[in-house]
Amino acid sequence: MSTPETYTEQELISALRERNNQAFTYLYDNYSGALYSIILQIVHNTDLADDILQEVFLNIWRKIETYDPSRGRLFTWMLNIARNASIDTLRSGSFQNSQKNQVIQENVHFKSQVTEINADNIGLKKILTKLKPEHRTLIDLAYFKGFTHEEIAQIEDIPLGTVKTRIRNALLQLREYLK
Amino acid sequence: MNVQEYISSGIIESYVLGLATREERIEFERMCAAHSEVKVARDNFEHTLEKRLEEQGITPPKHLKSKIFAELEVENDHRPEKILPLNQRPEMRAGWLRYMAAASVILLIGSTILNFYFFTQYKKYVNRSDELIAKQARTEAAAQTMQKKLGDYQSAMDLIKNPAMEVVRMPSVPSSPHPASMTTVFWNTNTKDVYLMVNNLPQPEVNKQYQLWAIVDGKPVDAGVFDMGEGTSLMKMKNIPLAAQAFAITLEKKGGSPTPSMDAMYVMGRVSI
Repeated sequence: MSTPETYTEQELISALRERNNQAFTYLYDNYSGALYSIILQIVHNTDLADDILQEVFLNIWRKIETYDPSRGRLFTWMLNIARNASIDTLRSGSFQNSQKNQVIQENVHFKSQVTEINADNIGLKKILTKLKPEHRTLIDLAYFKGFTHEEIAQIEDIPLGTVKTRIRNALLQLREYLK
Repeated sequence: MNVQEYISSGIIESYVLGLATREERIEFERMCAAHSEVKVARDNFEHTLEKRLEEQGITPPKHLKSKIFAELEVENDHRPEKILPLNQRPEMRAGWLRYMAAASVILLIGSTILNFYFFTQYKKYVNRSDELIAKQARTEAAAQTMQKKLGDYQSAMDLIKNPAMEVVRMPSVPSSPHPASMTTVFWNTNTKDVYLMVNNLPQPEVNKQYQLWAIVDGKPVDAGVFDMGEGTSLMKMKNIPLAAQAFAITLEKKGGSPTPSMDAMYVMGRVSI
């Protein structure tokens, strides 16, 4: 199903807006891995990640008109859709239930299929391990759990200003590690 | 804070990763628009992030791709249904109008053809009617002519049948310019009315007329001029109350002469009584 065609960012966006199936296949082939990775890093569960990835691509298809190139690259837009969808799932009732079921299944030793994964060794999380522990925790809470700075200040019991400063510093370090 | 400090404050990473607050986002977009170096720095970070995350991507299960694309097919199939009613309505109206326009054009053409047909028929009947009217007028005129002629003959016949009528046959005289000439005078002995019948006389020249004379006691008495147009019917001439012994016809200048030109005498006949 891979297509030999390549697109510039502009061409890809116009083709997607014209609902070009080939362009969408290209998009999936090139970006589904990165998006699936970020989803897994947030939900730690392949079953949930599958559902979220599907939802994310349907949303990209439906909302491509709302993408504004002046605000950033297409990938950045998609990455944020994937992150938001994952965090929404994390906070939804179904996720809480699945966690409980997981606990019950584990308790009765009835675990038929391993869907839980340890995401600490993939993607951004792997890079996060290079950060200082206090920075790492804040990025995890802010980026992977979706807490606001105020919420983090409460959870960690540190001043809001300190949360902001530490997160900014953590992000600057993360940037260096990404290069 | 200058632009360079702003760039290295961590706001770029915060914005791109979706961690910036609403106020920070608005501020950042304003700075991007105002300072190209901010935008360049953002682009650089986005490229780095994209490249690294792609490298570290985890390929989703194969079946997921077909599932997602099957779902998209459903979306695609449903999408036109949702949009169509909005789009189609004007199109349907346009289609309906197109049919109406086509129908009216056909009706117009049909009407024009019928109009032309009826007009042609009308012209044909008008022509026929004109022809018939003309024909009828001609017939009527001919009938009138016949009627008149018949009336003339009738009255001529009545005159001839009258027992008091003296018939004077006037053959050609030896010196006549036209030897075959012949006329007849009917002279009512009671009323003294004179009628002339031309049996045979040549058509006179345009400036000349025949003149009838009664010969009373050897002297010619004018009995009137006449034209040849009336053909064989009887022409009423001047009343001759005298005891004429003969009648003669000469060719005179138009309007007649007081005395006959003897060299231009055509016919003469003696009265038998």
